[in-house]
Amino acid sequence: MATQPNAAERFAQGILPENPVYRQLLGLCPTLAVTNGLKAALTMAGAVAFVLLCANVMTSLIRNLLKPHLRIVVFTLTIATFVTIADRFLAAYMYQMSKTLGPYIPLIIVNCIIICRCEVCASKQSPITAAADALGQSIGFGLALCSIAAVRELLGTGMIAGVRLLPAAWPDWGVMILPPGAFLTFGLLLGLVNWLSRSKK
Amino acid sequence: MTGDTQHAAIVPDSVSGTILIGNLAQAWLVLALALIFGATLAGVQIFLGPIIEANKLNETLQKVPELVLGQALADKMAAENQHLDITRMALSDGAGSAGRRFYTVYEARYQGDVRGWVIKTVGQGYADKIELLLGLSADAGRITGLFILDQKETPGLGNKIADAQWRAQFIGKSVEPSLTVVKNGAGAGHEIDAVSGATISSRSVTRMVDTAVVDLRQQLVSRLHATDGGKG
Amino acid sequence: MEYMIDIALIALSAALINNFVLYYFVGICPFIGVSRRVDMAVGMGCAVTFVISIAALISWSITTFVLMPGAPLSCWIAGFFVSGETAARIDLSILSYIVYIFAISASVQFVEMYVRKFFPPLYKSFGVFLPLITTNCAILFACLTIMSHVAGVDNPAERWDLGRALALAFFGGVGFTIAIVIMAGIREELDLCDIPAPFQGAAITLIVGGILALAFMGFTGVDNGLRNALTQRAPAAVYTAVDPAHVNSNRSIDSETFYLQAVVS
Repeated sequence: MATQPNAAERFAQGILPENPVYRQLLGLCPTLAVTNGLKAALTMAGAVAFVLLCANVMTSLIRNLLKPHLRIVVFTLTIATFVTIADRFLAAYMYQMSKTLGPYIPLIIVNCIIICRCEVCASKQSPITAAADALGQSIGFGLALCSIAAVRELLGTGMIAGVRLLPAAWPDWGVMILPPGAFLTFGLLLGLVNWLSRSKK
Repeated sequence: MTGDTQHAAIVPDSVSGTILIGNLAQAWLVLALALIFGATLAGVQIFLGPIIEANKLNETLQKVPELVLGQALADKMAAENQHLDITRMALSDGAGSAGRRFYTVYEARYQGDVRGWVIKTVGQGYADKIELLLGLSADAGRITGLFILDQKETPGLGNKIADAQWRAQFIGKSVEPSLTVVKNGAGAGHEIDAVSGATISSRSVTRMVDTAVVDLRQQLVSRLHATDGGKG
Repeated sequence: MEYMIDIALIALSAALINNFVLYYFVGICPFIGVSRRVDMAVGMGCAVTFVISIAALISWSITTFVLMPGAPLSCWIAGFFVSGETAARIDLSILSYIVYIFAISASVQFVEMYVRKFFPPLYKSFGVFLPLITTNCAILFACLTIMSHVAGVDNPAERWDLGRALALAFFGGVGFTIAIVIMAGIREELDLCDIPAPFQGAAITLIVGGILALAFMGFTGVDNGLRNALTQRAPAAVYTAVDPAHVNSNRSIDSETFYLQAVVS
């Protein structure tokens, strides 16, 4: 078996080199859906971080008991439970944000990032490494979401996180807040990231 | 190959026994996890369930003083730690069973007197449903407040119906004759100036207000007289 | 008749106006990953539609009869253990998400078995994508939308029945198929174009998807207009003064209301 990355490497890789959104193209549903405001993007990133961390650590703790044909069931059960907890927490303590994010919090259950990390890392390595991997991937996910959200909110409303940045004369580009803006922003930023990573080589 | 079959033929029971035990162990793992997670979720429900219910109710209840009394008076009441007694009820428009509309109505009393009503109504906007709260005076003759709870109209155009400035047009208007939307500046007392570029959203809100008033005014007035009659 | 209009409008809304892919952003992964060839896209779309419908059937049934607050089956079973009063308030909706995802897994297994038995070459061409339908957001999204219209409405008269739930699910799948097939057709053309290197692959697909979403925005408001035109009730008439003779016969629907009056102070 090839040597697997240790905790520090897992952490560092998750942020940029193996960024879940820009490099692995996983978890695209929330990336497009909740990035019309920076606060919503941060909340979603926080929720995914919580679920990913808990699911990774839990899976890693029981990794020696898992057999191939039932592991997907176990992953699914674990992830669904933690997502339910995160969803109820948000509804109790951040009610307005929970209404804004709507159905996209429960959709974290089918977010490919989490299942992928459980499969690739947590089911094979120790809890510490799994936790580091979860944190790295979450930071990467958060960075990706915030980058898209910043562009969309700034161009669409002239504000970032409710703070007015552009002069009042700026004609708010409404399309940025709407679905086409999500696709276009993400596509252009993805092209930019691809170009940057090519030119670095 | 024959050797293997022979080997398998000689020790079939222990091999299949191992597989059986392996499967049972797996099933036990899933069951144990299910039990642990089930207990956790039950705990979450017990602790957080009431908070979430309270959030849902308060979302509307907090708006009632402002919609019935106006912002200034509501703030003054809050500062003096006074409260309105708010009763929530379900009313319908009295139509036949098909297409009957239901409303949630909040009756606001202060020290026994009905001070006003808040009607929650849901209707179709331009892009999706609009949910709004309509404040009426005690005799249901005057609009005292309007608040948009939920809307998904076009950002920058239709979602200006949520702006306090546009909603302020409704405050103080009489409910009779019913309100109409005009495009170039409201003149008469029953005209509402549409949001420029969002006529349909404006018309939806106005239509919802008019419909709610027509559907419920009789019942609200009769409730008011019923309570007054009891006191008088 | 009004029921058929409602179903038709739900179907239209799910397929075109609030398209699952281009408006709600669910099902993006296969939208970008599987849409290279039109025949693959059609196959994937049909499979997803099939799975969504079965999953919606299962999840609506379980939500209505087991999970909802006050659901019949749970209350009946709880009635054996606790008093009737407490049993009527049983609320299992915290288990919703877990139940839905397992219902979806079961649906995918079922469809997999069906396709493997009756369409073996199709099964082979799908490869690993068929089990991956479990992680397709569109299916869970359909279940969640149905849940919000069943367990999330206070008023029993507005609760969705099975017909509406299936209409949303099936035509949501149809809308997904439409979007993914259009994208596949465009990508087949794009293969012949000279795309700059950083944009090849997912980036250009997303940009094209954005233009598609822009095009589909043209459908906004169509169901609103149709609903107004087709279900025209008597327009809000000029209000006439309260007739005192009728004051007492006004029906306040206390006896007919299904939900409780909450007294809050």
